[in-house]
Amino acid sequence: MMLNEITIGQYFPGRSLLHRMDPRVKLVLTFAYIFAVFVPRNWAGLSVAAGFLLFTVILSRLPVRLVFKSVKPILPVILLTSLLNIFYVTGGVHLFDWGFIHITTKGITTAAFIAIRILCLISGSSLLTYTTSPTTLTDALERLLSPLKVIRLNVHELAMMMTIALRFIPTLIEETDKIMSAQKARGADLESGGMMQRVRALIPILIPLFVSSFRRAYELATAMECRCYRGGEGRTRMKQLHMKTADVVSVMFVLLLIALLFYLNYTLPSVL
Amino acid sequence: MSVIETRNLNYTYSPGTPFRRDAIKDISIKIDNGDFIGIIGHTGSGKSTLVQHLNGLLRPASGQVFLNGKDIWEHPKKIREVRFQVGLVFQYPEHQLFEETSYKDIAFGPSNMGLDADEIDARVRRAAKFVGLREELLQKSPFELSGGEKRRVAIAGVMAMQPQVLILDEPTAGLDPKGRDTILGQIKEYQQENGSTVIVVSHSMEDIARCAKKVLVMNRGRIEMFDQTPAVFSRADELGAIGLSVPAVTRIFMILRARGYDVGDNVYTVEQARDRLLPLLKKGGDA
Ligand SMILES: Nc1ncnc2c1ncn2[C@@H]1O[C@H](COP(=O)(O)OP(=O)(O)OP(=O)(O)O)[C@@H](O)[C@H]1O
Ligand SMILES: [Mg+2]
Repeated sequence: MMLNEITIGQYFPGRSLLHRMDPRVKLVLTFAYIFAVFVPRNWAGLSVAAGFLLFTVILSRLPVRLVFKSVKPILPVILLTSLLNIFYVTGGVHLFDWGFIHITTKGITTAAFIAIRILCLISGSSLLTYTTSPTTLTDALERLLSPLKVIRLNVHELAMMMTIALRFIPTLIEETDKIMSAQKARGADLESGGMMQRVRALIPILIPLFVSSFRRAYELATAMECRCYRGGEGRTRMKQLHMKTADVVSVMFVLLLIALLFYLNYTLPSVL
Repeated sequence: MSVIETRNLNYTYSPGTPFRRDAIKDISIKIDNGDFIGIIGHTGSGKSTLVQHLNGLLRPASGQVFLNGKDIWEHPKKIREVRFQVGLVFQYPEHQLFEETSYKDIAFGPSNMGLDADEIDARVRRAAKFVGLREELLQKSPFELSGGEKRRVAIAGVMAMQPQVLILDEPTAGLDPKGRDTILGQIKEYQQENGSTVIVVSHSMEDIARCAKKVLVMNRGRIEMFDQTPAVFSRADELGAIGLSVPAVTRIFMILRARGYDVGDNVYTVEQARDRLLPLLKKGGDA
């Protein structure tokens, strides 16, 4: 097992239009897109929404395969929802009846529709993390949430915690990989045995991992104090965020998409 | 017969992503039984990646690894057996300690081998003796030990498996000069007493010069040289070109020769230098 094959939340550096967009705009537009995916009630609308996603993937110049890879871990969830939909939604022509189980055309349509919806949802949001570095992303989040300061929410600390957490995910994965290798070199058997045996096999990995995480946390805290970090009050930024023409154009594009989806709902019959 | 042989090993990290990185390319080496091999190379030249292939922690993208003439990946299910025969001590091995006592931590490897309690006990004590761990330290938690002591516990943990081939990835990194000398001496002693094959990765030319019989030089994932130690260190210019150097003593002797002193070549350790210089100085005194 190679842990570094996990790609969710991973950033793939690049210079594409998507990479260079203002992260605040990207974040808001991603949420807008997630909303948009729930608008369509017919195949035409869903195709438009999926087509839009494909278009942004092409704009990002990332390998399309990568975007599909992000979906892989949640395939079981998609399968489960699809199955539930097939069994529970009834209507249209009955294809199969057995006791309390009824499989209908409507059930299958709904299942497919919702599966595609989830696929768009996941790929769309992973496109955000693929093209935005974690630090930029939390930076954007901090800016977007800063109005919440009026209700005494410490947005800066929240964002800093998120930045640090995100920053250390790859480090932790790498560390886990290394410790696993080191214990395997001493003959640790992580792959066979029953449930209890497998849980016990985790001890030689978890303990060193905890120890090194605490060590890292102390080191980081000391390093931050040495640089006189004392929270968000009066901090200025090295990287200022600016909106550009491309950002304005993309906002209009997404608004147009949502308008189109509503229009399609209005003019075409619903399949759900 | 060579104990370890590799044929055209290639390995790529994160293939098929923008992060792909060819870590080793076309590595073919033969290592004879009982040899002491040093591996040197610039940071990122693929040393750690190569040694992880020798005990089957990494599976080559292409190429083969042979242990005693048998392809180690012939039966992937039995790869654990290979790891008992080829012991690998990782870079900063002290980060892998986890047991309540140092004794138990050293016993982790042998008990994974399924040995009986007496044999495990004998092996733990023997390994502890090799790395110079006193009895009272064995009963202490490994987390209460100093950095150097932790390193010893970790090395003993692999030695206790009594592997036919012992590989150590930078065993002296981050230790003081005395600690380095002690650990290297103990490794050398282990090798002589057990007649095992030892492979040491190091950034210190002095360490390599003192211990290794043969040196493998890596550069950007490829083998640059693989030869007897004197032969490698006589190619100072080529080593310099790939960001490495020869031991400081060797450099001094090269300068002396360039200034016209007849001190001879093939000097790599302080002891050799002393043996070479003392007679010359005596002669100078007599004249
Ligand atoms: N887990 C990994 N994932 C991706 N790339 C890696 C990984 N480990 C090593 N690499 C890359 O492979 C190359 C070879 O690394 P390796 O660790 O073998 O070098 P090394 O010679 O041991 O260096 P050092 O002297 O710094 O220990 C490097 O360029 C490194 O960035
Ligand atoms: Mg290394």
